[in-house]
Amino acid sequence: MKINDTLPLEYSTEENSNKVFGFWIFLGAEIALFSTLFAVYFTLWNRTGSGPSGSELFELNGVLWETFLLLTSSFTCGLAIHAMRLNLKKPMMIFFGLTLLMGLGFLGIEISEFVTYVQDGATLQTSAFLSSLFVLLGTHGLHVSMGFLWGAGIMLQIKRHGITPETANKSFIFSLYWHFLDVVWIFIFSFVYLKGLM
Amino acid sequence: MARLFPVRHVMGYIFSLVLSLVALGVVFWDLNVTAGLTILTVCAVIQASLQLVVFMHIGETSNKRSLYLNIILAVFVGVVTIFGTLFTMIWGFR
Repeated sequence: MKINDTLPLEYSTEENSNKVFGFWIFLGAEIALFSTLFAVYFTLWNRTGSGPSGSELFELNGVLWETFLLLTSSFTCGLAIHAMRLNLKKPMMIFFGLTLLMGLGFLGIEISEFVTYVQDGATLQTSAFLSSLFVLLGTHGLHVSMGFLWGAGIMLQIKRHGITPETANKSFIFSLYWHFLDVVWIFIFSFVYLKGLM
Repeated sequence: MARLFPVRHVMGYIFSLVLSLVALGVVFWDLNVTAGLTILTVCAVIQASLQLVVFMHIGETSNKRSLYLNIILAVFVGVVTIFGTLFTMIWGFR
């Protein structure tokens, strides 16, 4: 294995650089995926049938907490990578831990939001608006759930093996994923919730 | 301790929070739809770019040109998908 010392550890071998590049291409495909879901939502957002509309359904309080948690977790995830580049394992683990905890907090709020919707009679089958809303939010929420499991797995590996070219590479790729989920949330926050309440 | 919190990241975080608050303004200010959507779009695009550049380090390797091109292509595909759908399903036959 050829290690290039002039680059950060996560890029240090050719395989590592290729993995990071490949993941960027995957994120490109994710942009296309979420665009299709946004396209469906923007087409159907006022087809509420006999169900509630967005402005009747959305609660700003929970959404603001979700946004704050995800933004902050994106920040701590960035700090984890910064600590990793300083080769500081303990702060890196703490920042990753905080990131995942806030991710979990986000999921908790989102799940309770969904439960409230369903209790109010707003289900996946109620209207075209709600179908597209649940699919868009659910796909994002599923990504966050996957990210939580993935991040937890990476934390175990760092705990066991320390900061190596392999674990650094996995951590960096995970951070790209996590920041990307925050980007998707920014668009959901703006164009689903804030636009709906405007 | 201070070196765990690089200025660039802290500024990026604060700026993200400010942009979210500005976007939140559309709910409380009495704006027309165009003005509201413009504010939302501008804030969201700046915030997304901030994540890309500050937190995702898109510009730090020698293949950054390919990374930017990849993202630009993906965003182009996304924009065509969204506006193409709106055109065929809503705007096109009014």
